[in-house]
Amino acid sequence: MDETLNFDAIVVGSGITGGWAAKELTEAGLKVLLLERGRKIEHQVDYETELKAPWDMPFRGEGDAELYARDYAVQSLNRHFTEFTQGHFVNDAENPYQTGPDTAFNWFRSYQLGGRSLTWGRQCYRWSDYDFGANKRDGHGTDWPIRYADLAPWYDKVEDFIGVAGAAEGLPQLPDGRFQPPFALNVVEQAARERIMETWPERRLTIGRTANLTAEKDGRGLCQSRSICARGCSYGAYFSTQSSTLPAAQATGNLTLITDAAVEHVDYDPVTRRVRGVHWIDSKTKTRHQATARLVFLNAGAFNSVHLLLNSSSEAMPNGLANSSGVLGTHIMDHANTLSAAAIMPGFEAWTSFGNRPTGVVIPRYRNMETMDGTGHTRGFSFQGGALQSTWTAGKREAGIGADYKAALRKPGSWRMVLVAFADCVPRAANRLTLDRTRVDANGIPQLRIDFAFGAEENAALAQAKADAAEMLAKAGGHVFMGFDRPGAGGTAIHEMGGARMGNDPATSVLNKWSQAHDIANLFVTDGAQMSSSACQNPSLTYMALTARASAHAVSLLKSSAL
Amino acid sequence: MTGWSRRSFLGAAALVAVQAAVPGGAEVLKQLDPKDAPSPRRRKLMRLVADHVIPATDTPGAGAVGAGDFVLVALAHGLEGTRRPPAADPSFVSFLRADGSLDHAAWLEGKLGPKWLALPAPRRHEQLTALDASAFKGDPAAAPWRAIKGLILTGYYTSEIGGSKELKYELVPGRFDPKVPVTPETRAYSSDWTAVDFG
Repeated sequence: MDETLNFDAIVVGSGITGGWAAKELTEAGLKVLLLERGRKIEHQVDYETELKAPWDMPFRGEGDAELYARDYAVQSLNRHFTEFTQGHFVNDAENPYQTGPDTAFNWFRSYQLGGRSLTWGRQCYRWSDYDFGANKRDGHGTDWPIRYADLAPWYDKVEDFIGVAGAAEGLPQLPDGRFQPPFALNVVEQAARERIMETWPERRLTIGRTANLTAEKDGRGLCQSRSICARGCSYGAYFSTQSSTLPAAQATGNLTLITDAAVEHVDYDPVTRRVRGVHWIDSKTKTRHQATARLVFLNAGAFNSVHLLLNSSSEAMPNGLANSSGVLGTHIMDHANTLSAAAIMPGFEAWTSFGNRPTGVVIPRYRNMETMDGTGHTRGFSFQGGALQSTWTAGKREAGIGADYKAALRKPGSWRMVLVAFADCVPRAANRLTLDRTRVDANGIPQLRIDFAFGAEENAALAQAKADAAEMLAKAGGHVFMGFDRPGAGGTAIHEMGGARMGNDPATSVLNKWSQAHDIANLFVTDGAQMSSSACQNPSLTYMALTARASAHAVSLLKSSAL
Repeated sequence: MTGWSRRSFLGAAALVAVQAAVPGGAEVLKQLDPKDAPSPRRRKLMRLVADHVIPATDTPGAGAVGAGDFVLVALAHGLEGTRRPPAADPSFVSFLRADGSLDHAAWLEGKLGPKWLALPAPRRHEQLTALDASAFKGDPAAAPWRAIKGLILTGYYTSEIGGSKELKYELVPGRFDPKVPVTPETRAYSSDWTAVDFG
């Protein structure tokens, strides 16, 4: 054991929210230790496959199916997982977790500096009061202690810093942000937008709001429309810890970064009722280390932050740290996600596009707003997707060999359009995380067990989404050939959240409105674990805004000596 | 921290391309377990089959770019789901591996028969066309052909010639243009990753 290190604050995890906490706290003058369980990946230097073509890769970018079946059985289901990006995902065989007998849950993870900020889908949507008011309105879960007005200035701050390209639409259910110029709709999407609005003015097909730069910012370059973001981007053109928050934190001179540091325990002092610091295992040397601090921020990713709290039980807190309510681990969520409709889109054969736009389109929620018009469900769903052309891979599904076949595959293929639904997931106590004390990981820490199932609400929402999507694509001139109304396994949306929910009442929630533990004033959890409901928008922008807000609050408490 | 310009990026990409050891020809076979090493006859057969699917035209065909060897490696590693247990069909029995998976290359060799290699090209093409037609009409005894053909396409369009001469390849488009007229000269981009993945 080396000598104990001392800091003003410790941030556990270097992904989307950990980077933000490190930036905000160091910029406020605090000495911060940022701990990351995975390896170091240095911006521009360590994006090893960024420049490679398929023919440079042993398995041509498709990857070694034999290896994936053995070591990446879950991660390889991720749409961003390829032979180029496999190094940015965990090895499932080395990082096991357990699921309950009735649970199908795919837990997508990236253990490395930058975490999932390197591999995320970059979609950035504000939540509205339809979302923050959802639990109160229909009685599921517990009421959020905040509303949109509490978060709006923090959304502004985050968008200004990370850069979000998007189009203002003036929709109350999807508030506009401080946008860089939007990417354009292609010809099929533009026609679909107009045709859908002719019939349903409230259904607004718009370009995805994405954290890819369309204007230069703070030394970061413009998006080059490569759409290979998850390999890492040396232009720094999409928001990641490496491109954005980490350099800002390092520029203060107040940051200490340690990678390969798997935190196993947060240390609690029952006399002062404060956390003192954390203990970690060096993944390379298997040696144990510790550090102390006046503040601890957990940003390990929703499920791993909950895992750490559960594993930090003590005599004073036998059910897990900050768990006097007993709800720690409960009410986990993920958006119910499925391909609602796919259609062939005739009539656009004279047109193609150039470049790889790094975002699709979105049709924001339009159900259950002023009028409760959902069939069998009380919340929202939205669609993401877009129009694309097929290419040589479509030849795998078609008969033919020889010169004519080759000539046909030389041209861009037919246009098609897809709409993928993301439905709000009702918070339920039975959907929960626990420790499986009979199974440990390589460091001897009990594995996480996930119990999760979607219910009647999500199934009803996706049934309506399927019908609506088919109707809209038909109105847009398409011939629908496929559509589903059942969600993929839990985790499919990669929006797993909850487990340390926010609430007004310490008896029924883990965190207060500042993302601060009710039980422990110097402990903050500002990743997805804090979420009390799921909305149907991608959540990362909200996590970032909540992190910036919590950081400011924590700093004010420190400076006023309230901690 | 400085942002990268497109110019400096392309310079770096060119450097990497020069330095990279690009698997070509028999190089790719080094990824096979020695026990899976194909016979010269099988290599010749797969190369010829690949060339019938994607023949040489104004660009080289699939055989010339090594797609045959790629298919053999890909089959050994289970790409296109080829190491999963096949549908039960009596004609597969003699080509099953110990783990229950179908040895697709051996199956194809059996399916085409001992004389196929010696046939004149038009007859070979006829036989493959018939096999292809049966497979896409849903004949279970011809079904494994679909995966083999799929891997031939992968082998070709992800090769440098297939990806950047037959089709176009642009790693750094630099912009997104949403509306481009299609002309007789228009070619698809093998670097349109969305189309490759979801088209």
